[in-house]
Amino acid sequence: MDIVPQLVVNSVIAGSLYALITLGFNLIYGTTKFFNLAHGVFAACGAYTVFWLVKIANLPLNLFVACAIGVICAGFLGWMLDVLVFLPLRKRKASSMVLMVASLGAVTAIQAVLAILFTSQFQTLETGGAGSYAYDVLGAIITETQIIIIVSSVCVVAMLGYIARYTTFGKAVEAVRDDEEIARMVGINTNRIISKVFFIGSAIAGLAGILIGFDTGIEPIMGMNILLKGTIAAIIGGVGSLYGGFLGAFVLGFVENFGIWKISGEWKDAIAFIVLIIFLLVRPQGIIKR
Amino acid sequence: MNTTFKAIIWVVVLGVVAWAGYALLGSQPATPVEEAPVAVPAEPIKIGFMGPLSGDGATYGEPFRNIVELAIAEINAAGGVNGAQLIPIYEDAKCNGKDATAAAQKLTNIDGVKVIIGGFCSSESIGAIPVIEAAQVALLSPGSSTPDLTGKSRFFSRTYPSDATQGKVLADAAFTIKKWKNVVMIQEQIDYPLGIYNAFSSSFEQLGGKKVVKEEFPSTTTDFRSMLTKLKAMKPDALFINTQTSAAAGRILKQVKDLKWKPAIIVNDGTAGDMQIISEHKVTLEGALSAEFGTDPNNTKLQNLLSLYKAKYGTDMPYPSYGQTEYDAVYVIRDALLAVGNDGAKIADWLKTVANWEGASGSITIGADGDRVGGHVLKVIKDGKAELYVAPEAMKTATTTTATTTKQ
Repeated sequence: MDIVPQLVVNSVIAGSLYALITLGFNLIYGTTKFFNLAHGVFAACGAYTVFWLVKIANLPLNLFVACAIGVICAGFLGWMLDVLVFLPLRKRKASSMVLMVASLGAVTAIQAVLAILFTSQFQTLETGGAGSYAYDVLGAIITETQIIIIVSSVCVVAMLGYIARYTTFGKAVEAVRDDEEIARMVGINTNRIISKVFFIGSAIAGLAGILIGFDTGIEPIMGMNILLKGTIAAIIGGVGSLYGGFLGAFVLGFVENFGIWKISGEWKDAIAFIVLIIFLLVRPQGIIKR
Repeated sequence: MNTTFKAIIWVVVLGVVAWAGYALLGSQPATPVEEAPVAVPAEPIKIGFMGPLSGDGATYGEPFRNIVELAIAEINAAGGVNGAQLIPIYEDAKCNGKDATAAAQKLTNIDGVKVIIGGFCSSESIGAIPVIEAAQVALLSPGSSTPDLTGKSRFFSRTYPSDATQGKVLADAAFTIKKWKNVVMIQEQIDYPLGIYNAFSSSFEQLGGKKVVKEEFPSTTTDFRSMLTKLKAMKPDALFINTQTSAAAGRILKQVKDLKWKPAIIVNDGTAGDMQIISEHKVTLEGALSAEFGTDPNNTKLQNLLSLYKAKYGTDMPYPSYGQTEYDAVYVIRDALLAVGNDGAKIADWLKTVANWEGASGSITIGADGDRVGGHVLKVIKDGKAELYVAPEAMKTATTTTATTTKQ
C-alpha cells in the first residue's frame, strides 16, 4: 500500500505529458478533420531546438528563454508545414486520407533531418542543476521538472479554454470546426485560422517535447511514440474535445500506472490498448462528446 | 476502358524502367572484369555488414561501421586479398530480428555476399541465421553475446564471448563478495538482456540467492517510474539494470535518481562500456558492479587501433571492448578469404577452426560451437569509470589501481 502515493504521482506526471500532446492534437484534428501524424514530430523539433541552444551552441541563455524559443520554433515549423504542404492540398480539395499520408511523409522527412543534424542517439536536456531537486510529498517523490510538467498542462488547458470561450479567434476556430464551408461564407478566412491553429497546436507539442526532454530524454524518433499515447488519450476522452482530451490523458495515465501495480510492467502498453479497445466498443464517442 | 488502357501503359513503363535499371546497375560489377582482361584476379570481394545504424543501438552501430571501414581501408591499402579489393556493403539491422532478416536477405540475395560481419545486437544475429543458412553465407558477429547463440548454426561464429560467463561472474560477485541475497532486475524484452537474465538468475539461485524478481519492458518504453516504484518497495539488496542499449539504462538511472532511490546497482557490459553514460550518472552508479570482456591496454594492435580511430574520426574510440573484436573480425575474415577463398560454407567452417589467432582483442580461439573461448571479468564503477574489481584485502597492498584490465 505504501507505493500508492508514488503511483498517483507517476500517473499524474504521465497524464500531464499525454495531455499536452492530446490538447494540440485535438485542436488540430477538430479544426482540420484529419489525423495529423506529424504532430508528434514537433515535440522532437521543440526539444532539439532547446538541445541545440543549450548544449551545442552553448548560448548564454536563461533556460526559460531557451524553452520559449523552442516552443515558438516548434509552432513555426507546424505553421510552415501547413503553409507548404497541407494548405496547397486543401486548396486542391484533397481527402483527409491524402493529408494523412502527406503528414506521414513529413514525419519521415523531419525525423531524418533531425537524425542527420543531431545523430539518432539518445540525448538528455538535463543540465544537472535546474529541475533536478526532488520533493517528498506524502510519501511520494516528485522533481521540480515534474511539477513544471503538471503546472504546464493545467495552464495550457486553461489558456485554450479561455481562448475558445472569450476571444474572437476562439469563436472563429469554433466556427471552422463546426462547418468550414459556412464559416468561409460568413467571411472567416478559414485557411488563416487553420494555419494559426497549426502554430498553436505544434507549439504545445513542442512544449511537451521539451518537458519530456528534461524529464526522460530526447531522440529523433520520440514523436511517434508519444503521439500514439496522445491519440489513445484523445479517443478515450473524445476526439476533438478540449476538456475530453485532457480528461482522457489522465484516465490513460492512471490506468497505465495502476494497471501494472500487481502485474509485470511489460503489460503497460497492452493495458493502454485494451482500454482503447474497450472505449471504441462501448463508448466510441469518448468520455465527453464534442 | 480508358483507365484500363492507362494502367497497362503504366505497367509497361514501369517494367521498362525496372529492366533498364537492372541492366544498368546489375551489370556494374562486371565492368572491372571487362576493363581488366589481364589475368589478375582483381574482381572485388563484397563483404556484408549488419549492425544497428539507427535508433538507440546506433550508439554501438556507428563506431562499429567506422571500425569496419577503417580495417577494410587498411587491408585494401595493403593490396587487398590476393589483389582483390574488399568492398563493404552496410545494412541497418536496427538492433532487432525483423530488420536483421531484411538486411541479411538484401545482402545475400541482392548483393550476393558470401560473408557478413554482424549482427551486433544478439537479436540481429538470431534473426539473420535462417537467411544465411539458406543462402550458405558465413556470419561472424563481433558483439552478439547471448548464450542462445551457442552452437546455433554451422554458419554462425563470433569473436565476442557468450554472456553465459557474464551472468555467472556477476552472480558470483553479488552472492559471494557482496553477500546480496535479494536482487531485483529491470530488463528489456529482447534477446541480449534475456540471455544475461537467464545466466545470472540460474547461477544466483543455485548459489542460494532468492529468486530474481524482474520487471520487463518493451524497447519503446521511456517511462519506468511505476516499475521502479514497485521494485523499490521490495527493498532489495541490489538493482540489476539489464537493458539492450545504454540509452535505456541512462533513462532508468535518471528515473532511479528522481525517485530518490539509492540502491546498489549491477549493470551489464552494454552499459558499463558506455563511458559517457557512466560518467553522466557517476553518482548513482558509484560502486556499481559489471562484468566486461576485458581489453588489454598493452596489446600493440589495440593501441594501434585506438590511435588510428582517433586520427580518422577525431574522437576516442567508444566501447573498446567491442571495438577490438570488431576490428579483429575484419582481419579474421581476410584470413579466411586467403585460406579458403570467397565461399560461404568454406569460410563458415574455417572460422570454427580459428585457434590462437593474435588480434587487438588478444588471442582468439573459436570453438566448434562458434563461440569465442574466453569470458568476462568483474568490474566496478568508480567515479564514473569502470575499473577492474580488486578485492578489499588486495586493495591495501596494491600501489595504484588503474582503469586497466588484463585478458583472461
